[in-house]
Amino acid sequence: MRIVVCMKVVPRPEEVKVDPETKTLDRAGARSVINSSDMNALETALAFREAHGGTVTVLSMGPPQFEPYLRVALAVGADEAVLLSDRAFGGADTLATSYTLATGIRKIGDVDLVLCGEESSDGGTSQVPPSIAEWLDASQATYVERLVAAKNSTVRATRALEDGKETVELSVPAVISVIVGSNEPRFIDYDRWAFAQSAKVQVWDAAALGGDPQYLGLKGSPTTVAGLREVRKAGRRHETLSVTPEEAASRIKAEIDRVRSARG
Amino acid sequence: MAQVSEPAAAVRFDDGAWEVLTATTNANLCFQCGTCTSACPLAERTSMRVRQLVREAQFGETDPLVWKCMTCGECNASCPRGVDIVGLVRSLRGRAWRTREVPPGLPTLLWGIYSDGNTFRLPPSQRASWMQDVKVPGKGSTLLYVGCAGSYDPRAQRTARSVAKLLNLAGVDYQVLGNEEVCCGEAARSIGHEALFRDLQQRNTESFKQRGVERVIALSPHSFDALKAGQAANGGPEVVHYTQALEELLDAGKLRGEPEKRTITYHDPCYLGRQNGVYEAPRRLLELSGLTVVEMRNNRGRSLCCGGGGGRMWMETDPLERPGARRVQEAGETGAELLATACPYCISVFESERGSETIPVTDVAEVIAGRARA
Amino acid sequence: MASRDDGGLWVYAERRGASSFTPVSLEILGKARELSDRLSVELTVVTVGADGGAASELRRYGPDHVLELVHPLLDRHDGKAYAKAIGAEIQKARPSTLLLGATRNGQDLAGRLAVRLRTGLTAHITSLELDGNSHLVGWVPGFGGGIEAGITCPAKRPQMVTVRPGVFPSPPRGSPVGKVKAVTPDLSEEDLGSRRVSFEPKGASVDLTRADVLVVGGRGTGGDFGRLEELARRLGGEVGATRVATDAGWVDRDRMIGQTGVIARPKLALVLGVSGAVQFTVGIERAGTVVAVNRDPHAPIFDHADLGIVGDLGPIVDSLLRTLGAA
Repeated sequence: MRIVVCMKVVPRPEEVKVDPETKTLDRAGARSVINSSDMNALETALAFREAHGGTVTVLSMGPPQFEPYLRVALAVGADEAVLLSDRAFGGADTLATSYTLATGIRKIGDVDLVLCGEESSDGGTSQVPPSIAEWLDASQATYVERLVAAKNSTVRATRALEDGKETVELSVPAVISVIVGSNEPRFIDYDRWAFAQSAKVQVWDAAALGGDPQYLGLKGSPTTVAGLREVRKAGRRHETLSVTPEEAASRIKAEIDRVRSARG
Repeated sequence: MAQVSEPAAAVRFDDGAWEVLTATTNANLCFQCGTCTSACPLAERTSMRVRQLVREAQFGETDPLVWKCMTCGECNASCPRGVDIVGLVRSLRGRAWRTREVPPGLPTLLWGIYSDGNTFRLPPSQRASWMQDVKVPGKGSTLLYVGCAGSYDPRAQRTARSVAKLLNLAGVDYQVLGNEEVCCGEAARSIGHEALFRDLQQRNTESFKQRGVERVIALSPHSFDALKAGQAANGGPEVVHYTQALEELLDAGKLRGEPEKRTITYHDPCYLGRQNGVYEAPRRLLELSGLTVVEMRNNRGRSLCCGGGGGRMWMETDPLERPGARRVQEAGETGAELLATACPYCISVFESERGSETIPVTDVAEVIAGRARA
Repeated sequence: MASRDDGGLWVYAERRGASSFTPVSLEILGKARELSDRLSVELTVVTVGADGGAASELRRYGPDHVLELVHPLLDRHDGKAYAKAIGAEIQKARPSTLLLGATRNGQDLAGRLAVRLRTGLTAHITSLELDGNSHLVGWVPGFGGGIEAGITCPAKRPQMVTVRPGVFPSPPRGSPVGKVKAVTPDLSEEDLGSRRVSFEPKGASVDLTRADVLVVGGRGTGGDFGRLEELARRLGGEVGATRVATDAGWVDRDRMIGQTGVIARPKLALVLGVSGAVQFTVGIERAGTVVAVNRDPHAPIFDHADLGIVGDLGPIVDSLLRTLGAA
């Protein structure tokens, strides 16, 4: 089967700061990493390929700086990499992002499975996988922890739901979102480095991608960020006390109440 | 005449694998005497039989028990033919990476080392937090290599600060890499990923070269051993363990200890003692500080491994298979007031194995930093 | 003051079982009633299934209308079919707003529906406000919870929002109100995205990674996990443990927190009798709030805590249980 794995490069969550004056995001000090559930999606894809054959293409939408991360994915085991990169794609919310990725998937062509991480650690909406499925008019299974092939171009996916595990059967083309921690992503295969560094990463700009401009980038994004606010201080409070058990219990209860009333 | 069918092969000979092993190890010297099995601390509590492991390797097979090995080196020390069995263990583990038949958690460990430059999945920006109020001269051609444990593990950070204080007291010029320090890769090497280990050693060589480093003082015996091997291969600087560096300072009169009437017993870490022959420096440091060193029966080359080496710090070990408690008990039996050692892994293991009723555990540097004078 | 296309506010109520709903469905229904009143528009709750009759329960939460989409093919959640059925009704009624609960199936549906309707979706908000133009502003956590962004959907309709469980309170259950309408959507087998093969209800296995509250015990408990279990029960949380505690057999291995165990991200971690070795603390680094109790004032755990209490564990836990009362 031809499998596409959607990957996002994100700043490390704990290293992003909010400028308290301007209330804008300061990502400058943050290191980048491939979104962790996308690594689980890649592992699912590679295990699927090992069991059932096929090819694995990693697909990402972002600036040229994403390219080295796609090469890491090639070194881990992916066969090909495609980067959708154009200023016109920038400022996209999940509607425009999912449209852009879906258009890329159509252009790659003959795709049977699209695997994504369940959500990204920057923005974390979980919307992109089902949105891609709707753009492609494909079936979907979200929050998947296990994926195997079944007869006649179908796959079986086990979904981890709040009240139990649901196994569903769906025909390809299908979009699957994979939950974080559902497997252990394999480490880089150092024998693949030479290939990974020299392989041609396809880079498609808006002209190469095609698609309808009204759904791309900022223009194609119905939602917008009206403001930002910092929720939690970066470090711990380190308030250490030596008090009677009763006072201790009272302080701990106050903390519990504070956490509960903070909601979400 | 009746047809006689060939029986199924009881053993498959993988000549290709064996060729690789003979090229990278000297396991072909083994003549199966079994001395290694009797020396191995795991033989008592597990089904590990070292002789058998080597035999299987000679057929090109990897015994899955190879992952239990702590690389303590008792086997190497006892082998009459000088087989580098520890090296064979690493090579066999290396082969397992090709087919990805490795224990769970190890790929994640490597990703952490690769992405974060340390074994704890903590940010590089916190690596220098061990320093707190300690000032480092930041000059000279000597470098104190703190390592991941010394940088991130609060227990080992105390040792790092003690060593830095002692070097400062003695007026040594030295630098540290701070947040730019990266893992020495000993965890990668232990679990068989030679390629990542070499990458990290190369990065360290470049850092050292950039800063004009000619001598590295390593905090942990594991870093010491890894850097010694790796830097020698890269033409990098000389590497010593901190106990060796402090011994030199004591001998040169740059540090003195105030006599202290306490008895102390010393545990030889495998990577300082048995693997690298550094037995006397830590003892002299303790004695020159006025302490009375009482020996355990299994001292120096006979030291009992704590169980943390060979990558075992990063794997879950069944409590019944852990050797650490036995060592703590032996230390208690000496009647000494303190158990000192010079390795962050040993300290970590001993502190978690001991109950509050047995002997307190400390690092050599901490003990003498308390009583040292310039 | 009302928005364009005023079919009012719509809420999707996700069914769970024959005639009950996910708790979050009712929570958002309560909030939606409040918003509808402020905006002076009507509130419709839409539900989907293979049979009618769920309406009567929904009428007790104050809607103006209950719309039931009934079809044998809709007997279980299927994102593709549900999106088609609900999408068709929305295109007819043209509501300004659609709220859905951010359960896994809720998200599974919402992403498809937003594309079908070519509209903006703000996902799993933790608070919902109205701005000066009566547009919804949904606050969304990002970056592992450290930062929140306020999202609006100025032009497209309906404004779609998914809401996390527990963000809004459960509304009171009152007498039935509202008009009920049942519709049979135009669907065939081809509209289904998947077929269920099996369902395994959640059993005994423990998943500490999803716990909101963790009560973690270490060596300092001396093995007395009974009180910790009681504490966890009262707080609606789970019990975790350090390696020392699991080794000693006090607690199962699958409850071990730490580098070779579980990396958890609870909103609240009570860490009791734990010294705080780094192999453990990496397991709670991501907790929202950490409260630690230890006898040793130099225990490294205090470097990882928001609130640290130095003292004997037993009396403190007893006192805390008394303070929390018999819940």
